Amino acid sequence: MNWLMAVLLVAALGGAAPPRTHTVEIRGMEFHPAELTVAPGDTVVWINRDIVPHTATAKGWGTDVLTQGQSGRIVARHAGMIDYACNLHPTMHGKLLVRD
Amino acid sequence: MLVTLALVAATLQAAQKPAAAPDLTDPEVAHVAVTANAIDIDLAKFAQTRTRTPAVRQFAQTMITDHSAVNAQAAALAAKLGVTPADNAVSQSLQTGAADARKSLEPLQGAAFDRAYLDREIGYHQVVLDAIDKLLIPTTDNAELKKLLVDVRPAVATHLEHAKHVRSELGGASGK
Repeated sequence: MNWLMAVLLVAALGGAAPPRTHTVEIRGMEFHPAELTVAPGDTVVWINRDIVPHTATAKGWGTDVLTQGQSGRIVARHAGMIDYACNLHPTMHGKLLVRD
Repeated sequence: MLVTLALVAATLQAAQKPAAAPDLTDPEVAHVAVTANAIDIDLAKFAQTRTRTPAVRQFAQTMITDHSAVNAQAAALAAKLGVTPADNAVSQSLQTGAADARKSLEPLQGAAFDRAYLDREIGYHQVVLDAIDKLLIPTTDNAELKKLLVDVRPAVATHLEHAKHVRSELGGASGK
């Protein structure tokens, strides 16, 4: 095994996976999926399919108000469990689990 | 308001009878939908001038935002379908109820107003939800109009839960 292959192998096994993008659809006044597990560095996109506007809002971050067809995104930075809700409809809840 | 709710309830019961023919034409259904939204927007605007409670103000703002969005879609669909909304007994019953509700809320202030407004919103959204399920969806012929009603239903159900949640945080007995 030459050194380049070794470096690539170490990168593949030990290094962080490339960041992924996850989509949460907001439809029927619910987040789909309601619970989502992502890695630090991943992007989460919320897209609103409902007639009425929504947000995805947690302590410290949140999307803008999303009208029908609009989307908003955040990049998950730190590991942890995040409960979020829609600012306009506080009975709508979702969870984001950020872990390596 | 109770009389009006009873009228709507009676209309709903009539619609539930298996042998009953559909009660409303599509232009009448469109009129009920637009009226139901407009009523809630008007009352929410009034509530915003009266309440000092953030959760009640936020609820009222959501009612304005959501019912306006629904009415914009309803208007766009009516225009697309070439439907002119037609006044009818159910719309008139809702409007009479709205006028009565406004009259009973007018003299109230502070916590008494908040409670009475949320009580009204809980009752109103329950009536509208029943109307969607038992009258409007079953009686609507046009597929797109029916789909709009089906799409709107979860928002009305969420408003009902939102209203109950805010009301429970206010405490105090119902009515006053």
